[in-house]
Formats: sequence, structure tokens, C-alpha cells
Amino acid sequence: MITSHRIALVAGRELRAERRQPDGVVAAVTFIAVLVLLESLVVGPQIAREADVAAALFWLALAFATILATMRSFDRELEDDALEGLVALPGGRDALFGGKVLSLAIVLLLVAAVGGILSIVLLDLRIALPVHLLVVVLLGVLALPPIVVVDVVLALRLRARAALVPILALPVLVPQLVAATRGTSAALQGDAVGALSWAGLLFAFAVVYTVIGLTIVPAAIE
Amino acid sequence: MRTVQSGASLHDATVVLDDRVILRAVNLVVGPGLTLVRGPNGSGKTTLLRALAGLVPLARGDRRASGDVLFIGHRPMLLRGLTARENLEFFVRFRGGDTRGIDGALRAWGVGEDMDRPVERLSAGERRRAALARVETERVPLVLLDEPFADLDDAGANRLRQTIARLGDEVRSVVIATHAHRELDELAKAQIAIDGGAARAA
Repeated sequence: MITSHRIALVAGRELRAERRQPDGVVAAVTFIAVLVLLESLVVGPQIAREADVAAALFWLALAFATILATMRSFDRELEDDALEGLVALPGGRDALFGGKVLSLAIVLLLVAAVGGILSIVLLDLRIALPVHLLVVVLLGVLALPPIVVVDVVLALRLRARAALVPILALPVLVPQLVAATRGTSAALQGDAVGALSWAGLLFAFAVVYTVIGLTIVPAAIE
Repeated sequence: MRTVQSGASLHDATVVLDDRVILRAVNLVVGPGLTLVRGPNGSGKTTLLRALAGLVPLARGDRRASGDVLFIGHRPMLLRGLTARENLEFFVRFRGGDTRGIDGALRAWGVGEDMDRPVERLSAGERRRAALARVETERVPLVLLDEPFADLDDAGANRLRQTIARLGDEVRSVVIATHAHRELDELAKAQIAIDGGAARAA
């Protein structure tokens, strides 16, 4: 069986489990919704509506939501040693990373949609370039899970992983968060060239971290 | 140890975890039929099975296996949030197998009425039965079972003994790690005693 089919099987298994036990989605959506709600209260409606501020808080919230959803996904795998059951299958190690990244990307697109709609409605944001914004958000979301999955796998057997994963992940995520924030801000303000430039950088991050994950995770999971 | 044509082998296998030697230069060849691994708690039985399954890195030595391996640990390895049937379907599809025998296998193991309930709502014994049904649905040449009688009632234990006997007849290799169940001795083609990480033919 080819690896892409196995990756699809792992992603399907993950999404099915998440549908029955939506702890990760609920935690991530709640987190992003609360942050958007608090944003205008804390900094005031005028500042909260500024493109740079709204974009920065949206991506910061999404980064934390990614960490929450990824950790919940692996916590579920550790119960009853389900992860070992997957790794023991022929090709299981290779499919694990791709399957997790694919399923998390789908979950995060849902979370980003909820967070984005809340931001637009509650902050009354004006979107100058909606298609560019969609491209930036799509690539920004795709760039988040690979490096977070790598971090969670590296910290999998550590008792303090709940504290360690954000500490490990956030410094690495900074360049992506900057690119996603700048790209989103550019799309909101009508800077098409800027938005596409940052989107290209996000695509590069997604590719590079996916290649790193595909290389590291099968060995690290041992 | 015996010399056989199929199964799996460890040569000079040493496993070190957290700076502790868990397996010490183990030489082992597993062939068709039942091989029992016996030893006290903490002797290295689980690590020996995990080494045969390729689930632990060897600090020294090498491992060989002819064909796919099915390893069922002392926990059921089923993903919570999925039903027993969905879990087994995933494993079979992942191996590229036929899923048509899953319902029958789960019924045979007494999980027929509960096969569509998420596994976290099953009892520990039912989860164990669902996990052991994989032996029937994933037809791989080497089966490794770690304390498979845990959580099983008398009927489940009988079913497992019958399955082990049948697997031996089918010329599949079965390795079971247990510190009890002396009644398996008559089915076993080989026995390995392990203590302090060192294995020897019993």
C-alpha cells in the first residue's frame, strides 16, 4: 500500500475520533473565541480594529490553538497505547506524521474559520482583498501543524510536556507568525503584492517543516 | 535455541533504556508454533517482545523478521473515540487486507453486540477481547502477545487458548509473554526463560 493511502487512513481515523470526542476542536474554538472577545475589551475598539493588531492576535490565538489541538490528539493516542498500535504497523511510523498534520490542518481550518468570522463580525473589520486573505489564512494554517507535531513527538515521553511543548514550539513559530500577521494585515489593507509575498513565505515554511517532520518523526517516535 | 525457516530472530540484542540495560545480548530464533516467554515481573519479557516487533532501538545486535508482525501489548492499543469495529477496520485497511471478516471475528470473541460502541465505553475485558480479535482479522505470520490473558474472564481465556492452538496448526509463529498459565506448556514448541534481561531456553 502506498504511503499517501496510509496517511489518508491515519487522518480519517483521527478526524473520526475527534468527531466523537471533540475535545481538541472545542478547546481550540473556545480559546480563539474568548481571545477575540477579550481583545476589544482590553485594547479598546479603535486599536482592536487596526489591521496589524487584529491580525497579530488572530494568529497568536491560532498558534496556541494548534498546540492545544495537537497535544490533545497525542494524549488520545497515548491512552491504551493506541500510538504504539499504529507505530507497530508496517509503514505506521511513516504515515503517523502525515496523517496527524493532515487531520490537524483540517481541524485548524475549522477553528480559523470560526475565529476569522468572529473577528470580522465583532471587530467590524473591513477586508480589502478577501481572496488574498483566504490564500494567506489557508497557507498560514497549513504551515502551523508540521513543526508543532514535531515538537510534541520530541516531548512525547516527558512528564512536563504540557509546559515544554509551548516553550519549544513558540520560538520556532515566531517567523511564521510574523509572516502570517504581515500577510493578513496586507490583505486587510489592500496591499496585494505584500499579501502574496508573505503567502509565498508561508508556503515555504509549510514545505520545509513538512520535509523536516517526514524525516525526523519516524526515527524520533522510537 | 531452535533453528527454523520462518518467524523472527534476535542476535546479540541489547536494549538500554534510561541508562538501564533491559535486555542483555539476547540470541533468539522464533519459528512456527507457540513460543512461551516466561519470567518474573520486570525481567524484560515486554521489552523482548517489543524488540522482536522492532519497537525499541537496539543498542547492540540486530533483529530480523520474515513478514509483517502483529504486536498486542498488555494494553489493548485501540484508539478511544472509535468503535471496536472501526479500530479493527483501520488496522486491516492499513495492512491492505479484507475487512469482511471483522464482524464475525468480533462476534466470535463475544463483542458482537458492542462492536459499534466507542471502545472507551467497553469494559477492560471487552476491550481486551476486541484487541485479541485482531489475531483473526490481520493474518500476519508473526503474532506477539504480551500478557494476553489479562482482564479476560474464563470464557475469554478459553477462547484465547483455542485460538493459540489453532494458530500453531496454521504454521504461524506466536510468541506469548506471561508469568502464569502453565496449561500453555503442552501447546508450546519452545520456551524461553528470561530474568534480569538475560534469556535462555527453558
